[in-house]
Amino acid sequence: MKKSPDINLKEFDKIKEQNFLDRLDFIRRYAAWQKKVSNKRWSSSQKKIVDN
Amino acid sequence: MDIKFSKNRIEFKKELNNLDKFVIDFVSVLDKLNIKYVLISGYVSILFGRSRSSEDIDIFVEKISFEKFKGLWKELSPKFECIITEDQEEAYKEYLMTGHAIRFSYKKQYIPNMEVKFAKSEFELISFQQKIEVILNGIVLYVSPLELQIAVKLRLGSQKDIEDAVHLYELFKKYLNIEELQYYNKKLGVESLFNKHLENEKITRY
Repeated sequence: MKKSPDINLKEFDKIKEQNFLDRLDFIRRYAAWQKKVSNKRWSSSQKKIVDN
Repeated sequence: MDIKFSKNRIEFKKELNNLDKFVIDFVSVLDKLNIKYVLISGYVSILFGRSRSSEDIDIFVEKISFEKFKGLWKELSPKFECIITEDQEEAYKEYLMTGHAIRFSYKKQYIPNMEVKFAKSEFELISFQQKIEVILNGIVLYVSPLELQIAVKLRLGSQKDIEDAVHLYELFKKYLNIEELQYYNKKLGVESLFNKHLENEKITRY
């Protein structure tokens, strides 16, 4: 039987939490960008994501 | 972002995506029959530009009689179908009246679909009573108050929900009634989550 790799769950959870915080940072930056640009600009970008 | 914001009214224009068009199409039937509704949850964030899609749109509809429901079913039927049951009596009595949702999609499409429920709990009724009017490209949509929406999203607590809450808060924080938001945060037990993710704007690095 193959030896399974050691997985450090504490390290894994730490990375997961950091990824989540980075996502929230992106959401804040996205909202800040939305406030700066015209409705046409953000909504046409959004349309590409939603309609894809 | 060009937006007009007053106490219970938000007016703005955008390039409509397929989800927006689907919602407008569905609520136009409710409007035609004078059935009150409020859009809640993820679509509220998407309406205001969150860059994600959704397979369903949550909507509370005022509690209506079975007769009126049959009228709604009939009016929806040329374009929409209920994907939970084909039996309107079952949809009304076994689902809506027992607190469960029914779902309507465009015929033969399944997604996206409108997840329709009668408002029942205290917070669901508040969504209804204090709904805000959104004028989107001149079309009226009714949505849950943003303060409540943010607190509920935090309470739901998934990564996606917290992201939705952060998006709404960041976009509208200068317009929000902070006292009201704090009240809902307290009632829903999400004050610490709010302080952690919405008040703290810096990235936490390990």
